[in-house]
Amino acid sequence: MTRPLCSFVSRLGFVMLTAAIALLLNLAHPLPAAAYSVDAPTVLITGSNRGIGLELARQYAAKNWNVIATCRHPETAKALKAIASAYADVEIEKLDVTDHAAIDALSEKYKDMPIDLLINNAGITGGRENQQFGHLHYDAFFKVMDVNVVGPLKMAEAFIDQVAASDQKKIVNITSSEGSLSTIHGARNYFYRPSKAALNMVMLNLSREVAPRGVIIGLINPGPVATDMMKGVNMPLLTPQESVSGVITVIDSLTPEKSGKFLQYDGKELTW
Amino acid sequence: MRVVVRALALACFFLLPGMGTPPVEGGHTVLITGSNRGIGLEFARQYAARGWRVIATCRHPEKAVNLQAIAAANPQVIIEKLDVTDLGAIDALAHKYRDTAIDVLLNNAGISGGLNNQRFGHINYATFHDVYAVNVVGPLKMAEAFQTQVAASDLKKIITISSTAGSIANSTGLLYIYRSSKTAVNMAMRNLANELQAKGIIVGLIAPGPTNADVVKGRVPLGKPEDRVKVMIDVIDRFTLDMSGSFVAYDGKVLPW
Repeated sequence: MTRPLCSFVSRLGFVMLTAAIALLLNLAHPLPAAAYSVDAPTVLITGSNRGIGLELARQYAAKNWNVIATCRHPETAKALKAIASAYADVEIEKLDVTDHAAIDALSEKYKDMPIDLLINNAGITGGRENQQFGHLHYDAFFKVMDVNVVGPLKMAEAFIDQVAASDQKKIVNITSSEGSLSTIHGARNYFYRPSKAALNMVMLNLSREVAPRGVIIGLINPGPVATDMMKGVNMPLLTPQESVSGVITVIDSLTPEKSGKFLQYDGKELTW
Repeated sequence: MRVVVRALALACFFLLPGMGTPPVEGGHTVLITGSNRGIGLEFARQYAARGWRVIATCRHPEKAVNLQAIAAANPQVIIEKLDVTDLGAIDALAHKYRDTAIDVLLNNAGISGGLNNQRFGHINYATFHDVYAVNVVGPLKMAEAFQTQVAASDLKKIITISSTAGSIANSTGLLYIYRSSKTAVNMAMRNLANELQAKGIIVGLIAPGPTNADVVKGRVPLGKPEDRVKVMIDVIDRFTLDMSGSFVAYDGKVLPW
């Protein structure tokens, strides 16, 4: 063979070899599938199929953020799928926050993606029928704790590096005024109230632990909102749109000085 | 003659000044969980010394030599085997004592979970369950199971031993699981106080004192258990219905949530 041809063949071979290796590497560690805008911030939201989580996904998508919207059953999350269809940078991921292996796997999948904002929104009430004193159903207690306290803590553990690697470095937890020991009235929600108080304690502690890394922890009460969770509750309710607009305003205002404070959708600070 | 002696005794203790809160005739009953060691053991000892009937529960009575010694010296002390995470066992014990008025239900049993299970980045979630089962479910289930017996008593008190570590406002240090479990039981009992107010049942939360996890200026002497418990028993004596739902330190000082 002539020397130019040799050189061409060897270069082609080299290129093909490199391409093969790149392909194999990509198969081994596939990048997240959806379109991802490098210039936009990224938010990961749990429990985004309905209620406050869905509205958070909608409003952040409309702000042109990259949205990683998780829920337990993407296949039936029609409203969420509609948002994902309407916006390029929305990815739906299947996740049950009580499944720690799944949390670890999701974190692994996104290990190279800086996450500006992790919103621990997924939460359950435990059911009124399980929380009547004299007839408390304690298996529901553990379920409530697993979703409302353990879930957010595990998510924070699993995604702390991605958050710390981002510009905004925020972990926001949707809490509740039902978790305020100083202001609760009446006797109800024997599991739900302690779960939100425990969440507040855990996240205040965390705010101190992660401060050196510049990570900001938010605890935001969204107010009483007209969602499935509040069905049957007889009181004036906010629309999800009103509540979430407020929540996002508070999130935007979060600074290291405000980390760990117990805040509300209208900017008010609550007492423990 | 017996009537005269009794009348004289009664007259004496009404007339004698500086008696403090006089023990009511007929004696009272206290049920204590986790009474084999530590604060629980000391509560058993001191309530027995006051002449109260003490139902002293623990997981392993056969190993509780110090508690056994107290029971041997005081016939009104009864040791009962109980693991507060065993809901069926709680129901069985409540059934056994269904006709006993219980003046003070003392939810003392508690566990820390261990420092190494609570480091961020390596949190042991099985430990989370274990700690919450003892520290939160235990007291709540005990309150449910024994509410009738407490309601039937003179003093009607459900007291849970909490911790300054459960105060969110004073939160320093880590121990994610232990601290949040004490916050959770504080909330559960705050809730319960509201529930039982109409029945005249007093629900209290007492923190025995500063722990190593608390940041305090200088060295705070922790005090001997016997001194600490003496003060706490006095606080329990003075816990009234309008204080129900309060979170206080061993000396009765109100703690922030």
